[in-house]
Amino acid sequence: MNILEINNVSKSFSGHQALSDISFNVPEGCVYGLLGPNGAGKTTLLRIINHITAPDSGSVTFNGHSLNAEDVNDIGYLPEERGLYKKMKVGDQALFFARLKGLSKAEATRRLHEWFTRFGIMDWWGKKVEELSKGMAQKVQFIVTVLHQPKLLIFDEPFSGFDPINANLLKEEILRLRDAGSTVIFSTHNMESVEKVCDHITLIDRSHNILTGRVADIRSEAGKGRLSLTFKGDGNALAEALMPLVEKDSMRRFETADPDVMRLRLKMLPETLTSQVIDTANRLVDIESFNRDLPSMDEIFIDAVNRHNLPSLPADVTSKNSY
Amino acid sequence: MHRFLIVVQREYMERVSKKSFIISTLLMPLLMIALMLAPVLIQEATTPEAITLGVVDTSGKIFPRLQSGESVKFVEMAEVPSGTPETDDNIDGYLVITSDLITKGSVERIDLILNSTSNLKFEQEVTSQINDAIETERLLEYNINDLPKILDSVKCDVSLNIMRLDREDNDSMPTEFSAIMGIIMSMLLYFFLLLYGIQVMQSIVEEKSNRVLEVIVSSIKPTQLLTGKIAGIGLVAITQIMIWAVCLFVMSVIVLPTLLSPDMMTDIQAMQAGAQLTETADVELVSAMATITNPAFVIQLFFWLIIFLVGGFLLYASLFAAVGSAVDNIQDASQLQTVIIMPIIIAMLASTSVASAPNSAFVSWLSMIPFTSPMVMMARIPFGIPVWEVAISAVLLYISIFGAIWCAAKIYRVGIFMYGKKPSIREIVRWISYK
Repeated sequence: MNILEINNVSKSFSGHQALSDISFNVPEGCVYGLLGPNGAGKTTLLRIINHITAPDSGSVTFNGHSLNAEDVNDIGYLPEERGLYKKMKVGDQALFFARLKGLSKAEATRRLHEWFTRFGIMDWWGKKVEELSKGMAQKVQFIVTVLHQPKLLIFDEPFSGFDPINANLLKEEILRLRDAGSTVIFSTHNMESVEKVCDHITLIDRSHNILTGRVADIRSEAGKGRLSLTFKGDGNALAEALMPLVEKDSMRRFETADPDVMRLRLKMLPETLTSQVIDTANRLVDIESFNRDLPSMDEIFIDAVNRHNLPSLPADVTSKNSY
Repeated sequence: MHRFLIVVQREYMERVSKKSFIISTLLMPLLMIALMLAPVLIQEATTPEAITLGVVDTSGKIFPRLQSGESVKFVEMAEVPSGTPETDDNIDGYLVITSDLITKGSVERIDLILNSTSNLKFEQEVTSQINDAIETERLLEYNINDLPKILDSVKCDVSLNIMRLDREDNDSMPTEFSAIMGIIMSMLLYFFLLLYGIQVMQSIVEEKSNRVLEVIVSSIKPTQLLTGKIAGIGLVAITQIMIWAVCLFVMSVIVLPTLLSPDMMTDIQAMQAGAQLTETADVELVSAMATITNPAFVIQLFFWLIIFLVGGFLLYASLFAAVGSAVDNIQDASQLQTVIIMPIIIAMLASTSVASAPNSAFVSWLSMIPFTSPMVMMARIPFGIPVWEVAISAVLLYISIFGAIWCAAKIYRVGIFMYGKKPSIREIVRWISYK
């Protein structure tokens, strides 16, 4: 079942198109990555999901019904631009946010004590936020976000501002929350964390959804026909011989730590058989290793954004001329 | 609990539990008293020392009638000192009075030789005493029997006890007293509107620059947050004024009567009951005291004060809120803030002119226009303005509040997500029309 369905959502601000016709579904119980360069429209989309702004067109379905104001009690949101009241005491502040999310004072107090004890920060309760370090404040912020045990958790750039140790702690907490039954959406630039944590992703670029699906599927799809081999011998001759078998300009040669050994990455033409490549290579060079080449999410990201940007340029020109 | 109330509660508790609130609640009345006493003290401090004046009175009739006072000290001298007055004579100057002066029709000019600077009060004192003495002497020349007795019995000091036909209670406070009451109340409003209006603005800017706003709006609608904030801060203002009001009420209705003399209390009660006063009463003081120790009057005045205080606060708080939501930091706010403070200052200046003409067209209009009406109307009320006029002004004020809060909420909704460039007033106005 999908906990969240985004259907043809568009939004513009005074002439600037922030989201155009975005659609995707978030299955319950997964970790969903929302990726995209800065200014792509991720934060706007997250604000729509949080019922902070309304879309110009399209709809959002939450847990089987159209998203409404009361649903915010089932959503926990950690915005990219986040902060706490500096002059307010940590405990009072956490209670305030918890009560805004619909928890009773007694219940909120009980849960906060649990979390504070688990994080070993009970002695911060009476301190003012301005007395805490940035990392400490981030911990409090995280607790406040998840305290009301929301069905859907949304983290906008959660790792920014965290040191590696705390970032790792946060990652573990996110996975723990997923295992406890929450669905997690997070937007990030950190592609490594996407590979490790996310089950599904959607890639937004310049207001458009340009790639969506399961991380495993996306990677194997992008890796289709891609090979990587390391070898000793005449690289030029090998490249020349492989030319008719591979996609134009898909071959890349890399140095390795061993000066005699070279690495070659390529993408085969659809009709090429892997055995043809192996045979050719075997004839000309001394093969050290040979394997399928799964691209990293980084590469997929950059590749998808580049592919999206190139054809759009002439389109812009024609649309301008048509006026 | 409703989210709105949670916000109200936070805004209220965070403020009233602060040390600064407690201190300002205690210090403000002291400050007010100090401000009122300051002119008296300054005058006291600047009163010049008495000038010692030697009098050579060849007529022998004038000097006995001269009385030394604060600004002048008269010393009799047998003869004109040779040359300039010396310091060892212990006099600052001298004048000569001859019998000719008493004779009618002579040149009424006296040479006063002075060794130091003169001052206005000293000169007035000297001339009026000498005039009085000469006038009395001239009257004596007519040889009227029992003249001193006659003079005493014709002395008169009229004070006006104003009866208003247009009012049911057909009496009113002395004008001077009304003016003081009016000024105090419009000053109070001035302080509150600025102090608490700016707090609303600061609070919004703080949330925005802390980025705590992004977190809150995922739980609560911006409009609820804004109105909750204004309500919370407004309640703080009301709490503060209630504390003062209770103190003042206790002072005027309970403490003040015990401090006044029993005679005066009888007069005051007589006046409150509409009866005749005893002959010796100081009418102005008694009627002033009768008014401020009258619970009905105090409560009525307080009622209007709260109406206009709350109304004025809501109006200005929403304007300050609009400014706060448009900027990222308090420095950027100063320019936009000036636009809002302007009408408050105009109202304050107009209030001080109310005393000279409480019903002039200028102040009447200002007491109807919502931006200036709270202060100007409060300055006018002690002069006895018809209730319907006050009511219309209040209704106009409260209608305009709805408009102001609606606009502020629109601006707020857009403004809180705007960071970076400081918007112009035109841009802010355009935000109102955003969907």
